[in-house]
Order: sequence, then structure tokens, then C-alpha cells
Amino acid sequence: MTCDELRPDYLLYALGVLEEPERSEVRTHLGRGCAACTAGLREARALAFAMGTSFDGPNPSRQLRGRILASAGGVPQPRWNWFTAWVAAAVTALAAAGLMLYQTRGFRAELAEARMEIERSGAAAAAMRQAFDLIQAPETREVTFGQGQPAPPRGRVFFHPSGVLLIASHLPAPPPGKTYEMWIIRGGKPAPAGLFSSNPRGNAIHLYRPSAPLMESDVVAVTLEAAGGVDAPTSTPIIVAPL
Amino acid sequence: MFPLILAVVAKGDGELMVRLQRRDPQALAELYDRYGQVVFRLILRMVRDTGVAEDLVQETFLRVWNRVGGFDSDRGAVGPWLLAVARNRAIDHLRSRGHRTESTVELNETEHPELFADISTDVLNFDLIRQVKRALDQLDSQQRQAIELAYFEGMSQTEIAERMGQPLGTIKTWTRRAIQQMRTALGGAVPA
Repeated sequence: MTCDELRPDYLLYALGVLEEPERSEVRTHLGRGCAACTAGLREARALAFAMGTSFDGPNPSRQLRGRILASAGGVPQPRWNWFTAWVAAAVTALAAAGLMLYQTRGFRAELAEARMEIERSGAAAAAMRQAFDLIQAPETREVTFGQGQPAPPRGRVFFHPSGVLLIASHLPAPPPGKTYEMWIIRGGKPAPAGLFSSNPRGNAIHLYRPSAPLMESDVVAVTLEAAGGVDAPTSTPIIVAPL
Repeated sequence: MFPLILAVVAKGDGELMVRLQRRDPQALAELYDRYGQVVFRLILRMVRDTGVAEDLVQETFLRVWNRVGGFDSDRGAVGPWLLAVARNRAIDHLRSRGHRTESTVELNETEHPELFADISTDVLNFDLIRQVKRALDQLDSQQRQAIELAYFEGMSQTEIAERMGQPLGTIKTWTRRAIQQMRTALGGAVPA
């Protein structure tokens, strides 16, 4: 078949509904680098996009955003308003306080109370539940950092094949335009493990959930980097936690 | 109005995708703020159940989050990719609910991120969407039904013929005319 004959089929191919023998014909043209068919499919994908956005409808619930962020392993950042900001600050502070108590003094009662409080707080709770699950998993290894050193920060790292949880105190808020970036270092090679900030009290909790299970690693480190993060560390680590 | 916003935000998608590839959760939040509404509306239009639609929106964004490494942030257009993933999730749901086979349609082939390279963000604008909407409105009811069954339910032309009780040749004619009408509406907006 010629490109002209196939032209009306590009949209159906882009939508995944084109049948044989036309589907194989389009594939053959694409396989041999046919410029007309490649351009036609590009047009078809733009057309499909326009079709998908060409109608109105209701909005999703306000909770959906938080659900998505929590399930991706990130701490949800609520849309800004005074109420959500207050709730977020309260939940973060409470969670940080509860976890720091646990790690430094072992106050399990306070931890349980904090956990109950967090679980009442909607989407943020899902992320925190993941953190607690990781802490409690039998395979999780726990290391401390900053102990005995004159300059903070101090805290703990929980390492599990499904994720890494970092809890730190005395970590000043990053300056404007900067962010903290966590690294998982194996064989001397650092791999990015997410960006985070500390709260005004200097507490930070960062949970990294990789898309594939983590292999045994040597060190978890944190550096201060430009907002948006970088592919490889560019500054001296502020936190180094040998595993 | 969202499509108007879309025309503005599409130009900043490259930087956002770089941050997503670095596993920045805040970038996922921004991606949702840009595209969550349009993804939800598309899926709801297809599955017609708010709860199911929200579950599928969640699946869509997680799928993008987990596969963003294959996306070319210099050349790719995230909106078309995101909507392709969303549509596929909804069609999977419709098929599982209707016990339909997947023999003729290979959805996974249609959502590889590299397929969405070189779609200029310049063309993903309000004018294009308005022109396509007008063209859809001008289709006759049978042409429109045929094209909507392909788009919103992921039906092949054979399945559409069965659903509409028409010969396959008739469905092919209707579909081709409908697509030609929409391509004409684009008026060269997308370089071919």
C-alpha cells in the first residue's frame, strides 16, 4: 500500500485499533523509516491529544492529588492555602517529633500516639504509613549518623530493598534556590535518591521508593544542590551514613 | 479554561520531566497540577464512574512516574503521552468489565514514551483543540459514533461494525471520512 492509501489509517494506528492487514502495512513503512508515515503519525498523535482534551467535565476530588503523591512515595505537597498549610505543617512537625522521639529515646507510646494522629490526617498519612512499614520490616537495616560529632545534623537511615528512609534533626532549611538531595552510593558510584527539605525546626524526613528493588549499597549521603536536583553530587556531603 | 492553560504550560514540560527523572516528588505534584484535571475528565468520559476514574488517574500518574526514564525531555511532548497512557488505562478497564478480548488491539504499543518525541509543543494549543472540537461537532451522528467508539472504547472497526450493526465496509467509509474531516480541520497546524 502507498503512503497516500495509508494516510486515513494513521489515527487508528496511533489509537491502537487498526486491524490487519493495514496495521502491518503501517509498521512496514515505519520500519523502513518512511518520512511521510512518520510525519503522519506525529500529526495523528497530536490529533488524538486534541480529541482527548476537547470536552468539559467535573473536577476530580481534592483528595486525589494527595493519594497519587503518597502512592508514588513522595510526601504530598498540598495546594497552598492557610488551612492546608497549617495541616501540613502540623502533620510534618508531629511526625518528625514522633519519629525523633522514637529514634533517640525509644518512646513507643508517643510513637503510637503520633501514628494515630497522623493516620487521621488524610493523604500525608499514607506516606508516613509507608515509612513506618519500612522501619518495622524485618529486613530493614538501621544506621545512625552524626553521633558524637560536634556539628549536627544527626539522625538515622533505614535501608530496605524497597526503599530508604532518612530522618534527620538539626538540619537547617536549605537557602533559596537550593535543595537537599539524597544519594545511594554503591561501589563509589552515587545514584540520585530524591530531593527534600527540612522544616523550620530543622527536622527532615525523606522516604525514597525506587521503581526497582535496591541492591546492597555502601553509603547513603546527602548533599546541598541547586533546586531541581542534579545527576551527580556537586558539593561535600552534609550527611554520610555508612551502611 | 484548561486547554488555554495547557497551551502555556506545555512549553515548560521539558524542565519538569527532567526533575521527574530525578525522582523529585514535587515535580510529580506539578505534573498533576498541570494535567490532572484533563486526565480525569478524559477517563471519566470513558468509564462514567467517578470512583473508578480516580483510581485510573492514580494508575496513570504512577505509570508515568515509573516510566519517565524513557522519556526524551528535550524532544518529547508529555501531554500527548500522558493522555495516551490515561486512555489505555480506561480501555483496559472497559475491556475487563465487558470481558472483551484484546486480540486486535495492542495498547501497550501506543504508549511508549519515545513515540511522543518531536511533537512540537507549539501546536498543542487552544486553537488546535478548538478546531478539532468543531470538526467533531460537524460530523454526522454515525460518523461521530464510529470515531468515538474507536477513541473512547478502543474498538477496532470490526468491533464497531458489530456494535452498530453495519457492514465492515460501511464502518471503514464512515471512519475514514470522519478522520479526513478532522485532519482538514487541523489545516496544517501540525507539520506533516
